[in-house]
Amino acid sequence: MEMKPIVELKNLSKTIGKKKIIDNLNLSLYPGQITGFLGPNGAGKTTTIRMMVGLMEPSGGDIVIDGKLLADDFEVGLSKVGVIVENPEMYKFMSGYKNLLHFARMQEGVTKARIEEVINQVGMQNRIHEKVSTYSLGMRQRLGLAQAILHRPKFLILDEPTNGLDPAGIREFRTYLKMIAEKEGVSIFVSSHMLSEIELMCDRIAVIQNGKLVDIREMSETQESHYYIEIFPTETAESMLKAEGFAVEAHNDGFIIKAEKTQIPGLVQQITENEMQLFAVHPHRKTLEDQFLEMTGGGQIAEAHTK
Amino acid sequence: MLRLIQNEWMKLWSKKGTWVMTGLLILAILGMFGLTKWVNTMNNFDEQDWKTTVQGELTYSKEQLGNSTLVDGERERLEDKVKVLEYRLANSIEPLSDTSREGMIMSSSGIGSIAVLLTVIVAAGIVASEFTQGTIKMLLSRPVKRWKILTSKYVTVMLFGALLMLVGFIVSILGAFIFFQSGNGQELAWNGKEIVEVSVWGKGLYMLLLSFANVFVTATFAFMIGSVFRSSSLAIGLSLFIYFMGSTLVMLLAKYEVVKYIVFTHMDLTIYETDFRIVEGITMPFSIAVLAVYIVIFLSISYTTFIKRDITA
Repeated sequence: MEMKPIVELKNLSKTIGKKKIIDNLNLSLYPGQITGFLGPNGAGKTTTIRMMVGLMEPSGGDIVIDGKLLADDFEVGLSKVGVIVENPEMYKFMSGYKNLLHFARMQEGVTKARIEEVINQVGMQNRIHEKVSTYSLGMRQRLGLAQAILHRPKFLILDEPTNGLDPAGIREFRTYLKMIAEKEGVSIFVSSHMLSEIELMCDRIAVIQNGKLVDIREMSETQESHYYIEIFPTETAESMLKAEGFAVEAHNDGFIIKAEKTQIPGLVQQITENEMQLFAVHPHRKTLEDQFLEMTGGGQIAEAHTK
Repeated sequence: MLRLIQNEWMKLWSKKGTWVMTGLLILAILGMFGLTKWVNTMNNFDEQDWKTTVQGELTYSKEQLGNSTLVDGERERLEDKVKVLEYRLANSIEPLSDTSREGMIMSSSGIGSIAVLLTVIVAAGIVASEFTQGTIKMLLSRPVKRWKILTSKYVTVMLFGALLMLVGFIVSILGAFIFFQSGNGQELAWNGKEIVEVSVWGKGLYMLLLSFANVFVTATFAFMIGSVFRSSSLAIGLSLFIYFMGSTLVMLLAKYEVVKYIVFTHMDLTIYETDFRIVEGITMPFSIAVLAVYIVIFLSISYTTFIKRDITA
């Protein structure tokens, strides 16, 4: 990646009591990219996000936003960040509009026209003047998104953003995020437990466990083409496949091979020519869930803090 | 900063409770006036001749002047008072009756105690409620430094207190005009050279200002407890407890030197304008200095905890 990162975490650490919640975390986030942030419960996702938005003070390391240290210039740094931390808790006794007005006043240069524009974008124009206490969870999520994008942030942090949205809402939300990432070059950082959701939305994923970054990978990498193939007799088939130069891995009654679509007809022809019995050939997709469990070793909850 | 205060003000008045409290204040004041009026008409006791009362006061004040332990400020006040009383007798100028329209306007300290109660509720909740609603996460993840947010909240509490006092004052003026007759007397004072007539309005506003000190200190205390412990009920409870127990404590400790440095002794500044004083040997500037020290302590505690705190919930 040639681009300059918009957010960099450098050796970020957080110690509470004697327990290291976050341990030397390094992560760079780039413009136009949607990064998923995954980890089992208690891995330190929320703590990391809270440090990035100034809710918690890091015990060590730096947070750099758009080239400037957050610790040096909090107000300039955070003016480029839009946040939804877990459920967006709004002032329930005020209307949605007043809530937006409230958050707009805390930013530089958000005009009334911009507020109207955002209300239309999230599709809340009909009920924006009603009290938030009358809203459904989904509407509150929309309002939460609205307050996060009011000031056109360069960097958007979302913690469990689709919680409470209906399927149509989730899709709309996803499309919207992809749109602002592509068109406005916003860098988006999404933490979620819904792996299928992350899979559909993100360009890359960062996995955290016990406060340490376990893996970062591009989604394009994970979507390499694999095929499941079931042939009899197994032994000869395996040696044949290996001889042809495929990476072979046993799976159920057959194998998973790394192969391009164009290689498949030739392979099938070869199998029939060798008079082997072919039962099945179909594309195999490793789900993000499989990979996630692989990376985190079963995804058990982090050790208790008291240890 | 102005926009932050606007925000706090908007949140404050979006709560129904705030309107209810303001309504209660108005009702309570009008109720007090009505009750006073009713009691007055019921006990239609024989009005004592004002000259006898003034004569009695004069004798008592002179007796007190004979006391050698008086501090300078107190002695001066008594001397001034004697001059005024003598002048009244000499020129036969009647003092304002407590139940005259003017008398009611001047004794506005009743507003103070209701205002304290209501301002404490707001002061206790303004930080704590952000935590209980969970909105603190939204509020502090903005490009605004925390001290600015806390300052906007503190300023809002004080503005609310001042507004209550002002509303209270206006309502009591209205009440005074509705319920009471104008009196015959005049309010007099010694300005150092001669006896002058005192404006009823000026005196009323001055008393109001003095009783605002009480609102100021108690609300600051509630604000501190609310922002440190994030619980508005604790803050309300504790503040009202010390507000009511304060004078009892002062009475218990009145004999000891330490009482001069306790905040409760100084919370009611109107004592310098009336004859009711528990602790001897304190003056208004001294009281103001002590209050200032307490306020600085309360505020530095709430600022440090608020700025340092990690938001985890």
